[in-house]
Parts: sequence; structure tokens; C-alpha cells
Amino acid sequence: MDSVLCSIGTRGRYDTTLPLALAAIINQTKKPDKVIIFDDNDNPRDVREELIYKNLFKMMDIKNIEWEWVFAQKKGTHWNHQTANIMPYKWVWRMDDDCIPEPNVLRTLLSYAIRKDAGAVGGSILTPPLPSPFKATGKIENINNEPNIQWGLIAKEQQVEHLHCSFVYRAGIHDYNIGLSRVAHREETLFSYGLHQKEYKLYVIPEAITWHLKNPEGGIRSETDESMYVHDEQIFANFMQYKDHTIVVLNCGLGDHIVFSKILPEIKNPLIFTCYPDIVPGHPIAYAEKGFGSIDQWNIYLKMSQWGWKGSLESAFRKMYL
Amino acid sequence: MIIISPYSKALKSGKENPKNYPYWEEVLKGIKEPVIQIGVTGEKQICEDFRENLSFDELKALLKECRTWIGCDSFFQHLAWSEGKRGIVIFSRSDPKIFGHPENVNLLKSREFLTPYQFIWWEEQEYVKDAFIDPNEVIKALELF
Repeated sequence: MDSVLCSIGTRGRYDTTLPLALAAIINQTKKPDKVIIFDDNDNPRDVREELIYKNLFKMMDIKNIEWEWVFAQKKGTHWNHQTANIMPYKWVWRMDDDCIPEPNVLRTLLSYAIRKDAGAVGGSILTPPLPSPFKATGKIENINNEPNIQWGLIAKEQQVEHLHCSFVYRAGIHDYNIGLSRVAHREETLFSYGLHQKEYKLYVIPEAITWHLKNPEGGIRSETDESMYVHDEQIFANFMQYKDHTIVVLNCGLGDHIVFSKILPEIKNPLIFTCYPDIVPGHPIAYAEKGFGSIDQWNIYLKMSQWGWKGSLESAFRKMYL
Repeated sequence: MIIISPYSKALKSGKENPKNYPYWEEVLKGIKEPVIQIGVTGEKQICEDFRENLSFDELKALLKECRTWIGCDSFFQHLAWSEGKRGIVIFSRSDPKIFGHPENVNLLKSREFLTPYQFIWWEEQEYVKDAFIDPNEVIKALELF
């Protein structure tokens, strides 16, 4: 079976829902290989030797679940998830510190994830009381006009274009946008839609219920600065405006531009940002940074390093853009 | 006529670029035809005919005229490849399997000298003179063209 990392960020919930979430992870019928907890608290407290946590981590040891407590950079949940995304695991199960998965969730999600074309799989994320039954398409174009399909009981498997909150995804395929603010508004939508754009399938499935206790105290997105939401919403809007384009960001050297120019004719509807417009015409790189947040996802050298690349530069560009 | 492109981009730190070949003078002594050096202002002139700061169009025109070219791992090898002109690239610490083109003759002394960090800034890489191939090997490769 492929390796699975469970990634969970926490902020302000040491003494409320985080222990419940960890206990629920431990009690899964299919165990993750490792649980990584990103402590994003403004004033972190080392809870590893506190009674409840000590016992939870001992339970993980007994059940052969590796665990790691990371004092995070306080830059937001997207930074933490991106760290998990590039760790050497085939799948990442992203969790929240106020999410309580039922014992069968990971096993059920993985039973769909093993499909060759699966990029991510999510189940219901329910907050009591349950909403009245509703229909939702799960298409990105309807994101502002319909409830998220994961907010209700899912009767049957359905393909969607974006996912919410907690799901299992194929690691290392698409980056989280670390250009979002600390509130990381829309981070999972941008991330999961990116997998969809890379032609991986996203599924929502029945019988995989996670209870979202939505504790108003704390939370990984507990920011009140409205400008952070505005900033992130603008980045999301820009991605949506150009969703039918292939965004190309050539933040690299002159020779790299020349090599890239060979594959340019094969790229569908490119929107290009370039350092050398006389070689590859396009907009200035600064526009990409302003419009799309982080441009790391297009940094060819960073990607080649993450991929452990041994092939040619041209084939690396092909992997990135074609 | 042979073009030589002896130097890779100058590093901001002022350190020698680890891609710069140290034995050009020896190579030049073995070339029995006219040589044009291309490069930018500030680079050491090693040929009588040194053409500085040429535009891309001028470089392309020169490539059309030359029999072949010799260079280190710099943008010029990519430009020549893009123009369909085969040449000789002298590698040292960067990997020709990644940064080279199979259409060229890629000269590498040994893969032992390749840096394990192919994708970080060259500012951070050490210059290793021993990593470069003997100039006689470059001349031999040229004679085979």
C-alpha cells in the first residue's frame, strides 16, 4: 500500500478540539504512516509532555504511527500543507484541528484514491445540525452560487473540480499557493482546483464522514484583518479569470528561456510572464507576483530539485507545462 | 571560422563562475582557423577578434557564418542549439544530461565532479579547476567536426 502522511495544522486549540482530532486519527481502521502536527500558535506551548498529549503520542507509538510535532513559521496553514505536500509520501490526508473523522474515513478515501487518475478524494464534512438536503455541481464556476457539496451527506460518488477542508490528495503534484496571506482564504480551493487543472480527477464519496466542530475559539484561520481576505480573494479571482489559460512564469535565466521557447508552440492558450521578452514575449514577472501570489509553483529549478530531476531541462519544462 | 564563447555569466559575488573553462589559451593555440570570441564588456579578451555585446540577431547571423563553435555551459549553447548549429560544450560541475543538448558534443571530464546541487545558484558552488577536461581533448573533438 502507498505511504500516507496525515498533516494537521493547529492554532488556539490545544485544550479544546485538537486532542479529539488526534484521537480520531489514531482510531482509524487504516492508520496513516505518519502524523505531522504543525503548531501555528502565536505563543506556542510544548504540549508533548502534558498528560493527554503524552498518552496520545504513546498510543501512536504503540500503533506504529510515526509522529512529529513541528513549531511552524506562523505564516498560515498553506505553508504547513505545502511542507507536507513535498514530503516523501504518496498521499497526504489533510486534516483540521477541529475535524473529527469517523474511524473508516481514511480507509474509504484511499479505496477511491488508488484509482490511477485520482488526484484527491474527499468525504462529507458535517457540522451539526445537518443542513436540508441540497444539490451541488462541485464545479468551480458555481463556487459562489451553491453550497459546497461536502457540507452535506453525499449519497453517491461524484466528480468535482474543487474540494473543501479535509481530503486525501496525491502529494507533490500541485503546490499550495504560499503567496496567500496568513488567513489562507481559498487555499484548499486553489490547491484542489490546481490538481483538477492538471487533469487529475477529484472525487467526493459517500460513507466517509468527518465531523467539523467549528470551534469559534482559535483556528488556523483566526485572523480579523479584512485586508487579508481581500488580498486572497483577489488572487483567487485572478486565477479564475485566467482559468482557461496555461499560466507560464519564466523566472529563470536567458538560456532557460531559449530552451523553453522550443515547447511554447505546444502550450495551450499561454499567458506568459517573462524575464527576457526579446526571447519569449510576455508580461513582466512582477505582474505575476502581484496577480497570482507566490510564483514558486512555476520556478523550474525549485521544481527540478523537488522532483529529483535527472532528465533534460526541456523535458522538465514539458512536465511543468504540457 | 570558429566562434568561442569562453565565459558564463559573471557572478554577483565577483567569484569565478564554476562553469568557466581555465585552459582557453591552450585550446586557441591548437585551432588552425580564424576564431571570433563573443562575450560582454568586462570579460577577458583572449582572441584578437573579440565582439562584445552583440544582439541576438547579430549572434544568430554569426552562427550562420561559422563552421562550428566552442563554449562553456552558458546561454550561448542554448542559442546555437535553437539555431540548429552544432558545437562543443565544455562542462565541469553542471550535468550535461540536464543542461546539455544531445545534438552537441558535450565534453565532461568525469561525472565525479558534478555538483550534487544542480539546481541552486552557481554563486554557491565552488570553482574546481580539476573538473575541466584537458585542452587536447577539446582540440580532438574540434578536429572530428
